[in-house]
Amino acid sequence: MGKPTGFKEFSRELPGRQPVEQRLKHYNEFGERYTDEKLNQQAARCMNCGVPFCHHGCPLGNVIPEFNDAVYRKDWKEAYDILSSTNNFPEFTGRICPAPCETACVLGINQPAITIEEIEKHIIEIAFEKGFVKPRRPNLRSGKKVAVVGSGPAGLAAAAQLNYAGHSVTVFERDDAPGGLLRYGIPDFKLEKWVVDRRIKLMEEEGVVFKCHANVGVNVSINDLLREYNAIVLAGGSTVPRDLKIPGRELNGVHFAMDFLKQNNKRVAKKNFLGNADIESNIIEFELTATGKNVVVIGGGDTGSDCVGTSNRHGANSVTQFELLPKPPSERNDFMPWPSYPMLLKKTSSHEEGAARQWAVATKEFIGDANGNLRSLKIVDLEWKIVDGRPASFVEIAGSERKIPCELALLAMGFVHPQHADLINDLGIDLDERGNVKATEKDFRTNISKVFTAGDMRRGQSLVVWAISEGRECAKAVDEYLVGHSVLESKNERLAFI
Amino acid sequence: MSLSTFAGNNGNLLVEDPLTCHSVALKHPVLTNYELEKIRSIDTGLFQSKTIQCYFRADGKPGSLKKGLERICEYAVHAVEDGFKVLILQDRAIDSNHAPIPSLLSTSAIHHHLIRKGMRGQVGIIVEAGDVWEVHHFACLIGFGATAVNPYLALSSIRDLKETGKLQTKLQEDELKKNYIKAVNDGLLKVFSKMGISTLQSYQGAQIFEILGLNKEVVNKYFTGATSRIEGMGLDEIAREVLAKHYFAFSKKDIPADRLPAGGIYQWKRKGEFHLFNPQTIHLLQHATKMNDYPTFKKYSKLVNDQSEKACTLRSLFQFKKTRPSVSIDEVQAAENIYKRFATGAMSFGSISWEAHTTLAIAMNRLGGKSNTGEGGEDEKRYEPLSNGDSMRSAIKQVASARFGVTSLYLTEADELQIKMAQGAKPGEGGQLPGHKVDEWIGKVRHATPGVGLISPPPHHDIYSIEDLAQLIYDLKNANRKSRISVKLVSKAGVGTIAAGVTKAKADVVLIAGHDGGTGASPISSIKHAGLPWELGLAETHQTLVKNKLRSRVVVQADGQLKTGRDIAIAALLGAEEWGIATAALVVEGCIMMRKCHMNTCPVGVATQDPELRARFKGDPDHVVNFFKMITQELREIMAELGFKTVNEMIGQADSLEVRDEIEHWKYKNLDLSAVLYNEPNSIYSTLYCSEKQDHGLDDSLDWQLWEAAVPAIVAKEKISASFPIKNINRTVGTILSNEITKKYRSEGLPEDTIHFKFNGTAGQSFGAFNTKGITLELEGDANDYFGKGLSGAKLIIYPPKEATYTAEDNSIIGNVAFYGATSGEAFIRGKAGERFCVRNSGANVVVESVGDHGCEYMTGGRVIILGDTGRNFAAGMSGGIAWVYDVKGKFANNCNKEMVDLDDCDENDKNDLYNFIQKHLQYTGSTVAKFILSDFENQFKYFVKVFPKDYKKVLHEKINTVETSV
Repeated sequence: MGKPTGFKEFSRELPGRQPVEQRLKHYNEFGERYTDEKLNQQAARCMNCGVPFCHHGCPLGNVIPEFNDAVYRKDWKEAYDILSSTNNFPEFTGRICPAPCETACVLGINQPAITIEEIEKHIIEIAFEKGFVKPRRPNLRSGKKVAVVGSGPAGLAAAAQLNYAGHSVTVFERDDAPGGLLRYGIPDFKLEKWVVDRRIKLMEEEGVVFKCHANVGVNVSINDLLREYNAIVLAGGSTVPRDLKIPGRELNGVHFAMDFLKQNNKRVAKKNFLGNADIESNIIEFELTATGKNVVVIGGGDTGSDCVGTSNRHGANSVTQFELLPKPPSERNDFMPWPSYPMLLKKTSSHEEGAARQWAVATKEFIGDANGNLRSLKIVDLEWKIVDGRPASFVEIAGSERKIPCELALLAMGFVHPQHADLINDLGIDLDERGNVKATEKDFRTNISKVFTAGDMRRGQSLVVWAISEGRECAKAVDEYLVGHSVLESKNERLAFI
Repeated sequence: MSLSTFAGNNGNLLVEDPLTCHSVALKHPVLTNYELEKIRSIDTGLFQSKTIQCYFRADGKPGSLKKGLERICEYAVHAVEDGFKVLILQDRAIDSNHAPIPSLLSTSAIHHHLIRKGMRGQVGIIVEAGDVWEVHHFACLIGFGATAVNPYLALSSIRDLKETGKLQTKLQEDELKKNYIKAVNDGLLKVFSKMGISTLQSYQGAQIFEILGLNKEVVNKYFTGATSRIEGMGLDEIAREVLAKHYFAFSKKDIPADRLPAGGIYQWKRKGEFHLFNPQTIHLLQHATKMNDYPTFKKYSKLVNDQSEKACTLRSLFQFKKTRPSVSIDEVQAAENIYKRFATGAMSFGSISWEAHTTLAIAMNRLGGKSNTGEGGEDEKRYEPLSNGDSMRSAIKQVASARFGVTSLYLTEADELQIKMAQGAKPGEGGQLPGHKVDEWIGKVRHATPGVGLISPPPHHDIYSIEDLAQLIYDLKNANRKSRISVKLVSKAGVGTIAAGVTKAKADVVLIAGHDGGTGASPISSIKHAGLPWELGLAETHQTLVKNKLRSRVVVQADGQLKTGRDIAIAALLGAEEWGIATAALVVEGCIMMRKCHMNTCPVGVATQDPELRARFKGDPDHVVNFFKMITQELREIMAELGFKTVNEMIGQADSLEVRDEIEHWKYKNLDLSAVLYNEPNSIYSTLYCSEKQDHGLDDSLDWQLWEAAVPAIVAKEKISASFPIKNINRTVGTILSNEITKKYRSEGLPEDTIHFKFNGTAGQSFGAFNTKGITLELEGDANDYFGKGLSGAKLIIYPPKEATYTAEDNSIIGNVAFYGATSGEAFIRGKAGERFCVRNSGANVVVESVGDHGCEYMTGGRVIILGDTGRNFAAGMSGGIAWVYDVKGKFANNCNKEMVDLDDCDENDKNDLYNFIQKHLQYTGSTVAKFILSDFENQFKYFVKVFPKDYKKVLHEKINTVETSV
């Protein structure tokens, strides 16, 4: 801990952001950097707790007090070494993690938490600038081959770790470029794609092979993989979106959020966004924009928020976001005490850019015109019954039914489970009761010999940080399976002598 | 104290031989690499050293470590036979196939092997090892035979820390190493002092340790003679532990991250050592108690209790055994009747904040349990009930070695007086409150100087034997007859015998404290390496008391990280009918185990005195009450299951416990806990719990007569005087009377000289102990030890019989340890006092004509005038108050310990004070010394030396400056 009284002297400060009117004109990131002094002060707030709850709250087990101290001392190499020992991709989590570490921060009991996520982002960006981030090639190759299916954060983490352990890793990706949701789910204004490219390039230099437009189960045979590889890691994500099957669902103008977002990311990347529907996911074969439309985003989560930001950049006439649940409180209450992750009212940067947000609203019907184009939504207000601080059940409020104009409705209500068609069904793999691929958090093994699974595909939809964690832990399980023991880092494993 | 030692041949004690001196003299036992190399390369023709490589084959096969040990023992014998004078045991020769033998094992193995061969005296043993960095490591090595130690890895780590800029310091590498070595040396002195040992040479090979978790073969052969009671690992298990680290260092693969693990011994870390208080348990406990949510509490206790894979307490290895049919929970004693058996831990106001301290007190008072003041005194305003009926008064008042704020009122306001002989977390040490936590308020309550750190003396200066302890118990019983007297001991081998002695000394309660408590302010080496689990001490205590038919005379209490109903049940079954809980109660109040208690930066306002941080305190007495209710409920559920309807039935029923049968872990499956679970047969005429009252022998006290004589004074403040003959069987005079006055007149007492008693004869011990304001005791004769102990406002006058023919100022008139812990009052002593005069005085003004060694030690307030000689070590640790010494012979400066005090000339203010004090002395005692000084005051005044504590001076100056600026 650099400064024992730092937490008393400095208050939480985030770096500035570009003003809304400027950032709406582009798709680039708009967060500024801390000055050296500010960064130093923010790190000085860390108290180096006897029980660092942040370190427990982080799904990766990031050793946060240690890197905060290194940042305070301006020992960037040390900070990077600490951070990268538990996290393969701090440049992703530093940008888009909802930071469960910060909600667990001890200072958060009665003060604003440490800006852990920003500090993390600064560490990794400074490390890149200073050239600390170099490809780390294993000294020895084990001679074992591993196929990783899916190149989202879980697949990438598993691939990186297995490669460090000396195995030859090939990653199969059905899209035209690796990254999964990092590439085509998260808009550029939250994560610019050169950041993903930079990491992919590093991994390629380390020896990981990426095969794109390779949809296992479609244009790549799973049986070939089973024959050629010593182990397979399925990390295809939880990709089937929750649908809203109400009248009018078939109308033009009702779309899944991911279709909308992917097309935009491809557009920003100046790629052909209409082709390859047979291999890639989430391709709609016509151009879809929000320009001039009344947009309604159904779903109040992060994907919904991304739709809001993207629609505003398209120049939508109006942007409205619905959430079924009631408006959450803005502060912790007894039902979500520190250090648990609280369900609080969140104002994302996209919300800053303008959106009408409504809670406790259900959509009853999509209403179209004679040409089958969406024109309006029929909605109704809900009254929720709250039990133990949690919304438990609702009834529609009589007489609150109304119609609102809408030409584009984006469904952002989460994902139910991985895609079962093709790969999963072909393999005949066991699923859990939620439709995810069944495997324990301990060994990540499916019921099929040498097939492992990690990330949202196993866990169900979750955070990027969980995906990375799953990938890392799964890699260790695979490594143990392949060679009997593993020296890969694991977040929980104690040395045998303790 | 001394750290000097000699490496080489000690020669034959019985033969005088100049060669015996042919060894290397070391000022201290920690060697730098340079010093080590010097010793390694000495060749005087008669003196050479031999380096022995301490490794074993890292093949993981049984017996490899044993073979390695046999080899080094054999080499050591050869080296001695070949005439080498120093053996250097080095663990540097390791590689992927060879692992180091732990340095303590190799040192002790060679040490004992050479003893058996009759060769140990012929060589010095120097350890050159990487696994040595903490004070405890050095202490162990020396305690098991090492002469000196070169901690090369610790030293290179310092270099690395400096080179990589991890130390924010301008100090150079050499200075840093020097500081490290000094710290280790100071730590060693502290360790020795705790054990009552003054020199390293006495400590070397003394084996003052208890071994936990090594089996008999290992102990008998390699740690011969050391105490070890519960068996445990053998050599192969030790090897396995070494190899785990070895594998980590030399694993065949390229590890992607080349960082060492972050540790986790002193801080919770995900991959580090398992801690019972971790993010999950802390959260669940806080949430459960806040919401009064029993299911959540059960989740918490399940996490704490289930240590099947990572045991960190002995009790986790037990399971309950049903010896009788279960009963319905409705038949079990009501919770309301159990709460009184709970106490919170002794944490002082000072170590924790006002808010945290009073919250515990209010909670325990609501519940009917007992909170504990700790050793920091108690603000009087806590004795007034609050408007809502709550009370902030702590039922248990601690009387610790520093006697902070131990006044007549403090004692009178107790339901239990606890003599802290030792503290579980840091046995042998007193409390330590860093200066930045001693604010004005704390200073006032403790009668100490704000801003000055307070280190309690290791021993009670009035207790050097069990008889002394009996005397203190008697003193305290006099000071408050309604209060129980409790004696706090720590779990250690032999505590049973001590507890038996304490019981015979008439303690009402014996508390056995486990090792694993302690705030973050306790020295780290003590927290981790001193004391033993309470399971061991409690079982031994209970068994010894039963065996000696003493168990029914005393309440046995246990504490030390009790966290759940299961813990309480096990404590009861092992013999404790009352239980103390400290850490868990603090966690309920909001403590999140920051371990920053020593830094005053506790962010939740628990262990800090910073007003800004105190404002962040969010604890609530209701939550603490909820906690004790839930833990009691859990206890009652276990009682029902085991078939016990009352707690009393349950005490000492160790046969309701057994060792878990499915223990698989290689590290602890060989522990033998049968001694803990032994059931000492009890006489049918006695109980296994306290069922008799101690006879404190107060009936014979002289005070009943004093009280009778003083009735008009107490009732109507009438001035009274009376005289009594006194004999040395009249101990603790005036103390019951003071208690009675205090009950009525509180700390105010009576006006000066309201009660004047004149005694003729020889007073017994503790004359005037804890006597309060308004009492004047005049003794013509002499007195034993503890004269004016804890003086609390009274005036004591003593002079020799008028008819005595000897020179009063040349003769002892009172014994040792006078005015120990005095807080206010006056005394005039016409003659010499013994040793340890006015130790821990914090407010009494005393005139005496000469004192023995260690005068005014640890003094924090009051005035002491010495009209004659002092012994040596005067004013050691003195941080407040003033002493004036009449130093005609000019010898005083040599006798004074000037570490914390200045010797100043007296100024005009001093002159007035001195004149007044000496005049009073003359008036009360007729001292000829006083008369002479006053008769020639202008000249004699020059001989007075003012002993002025540096810290106190600083604070006084600051005060003057503030007043001036504000004017």
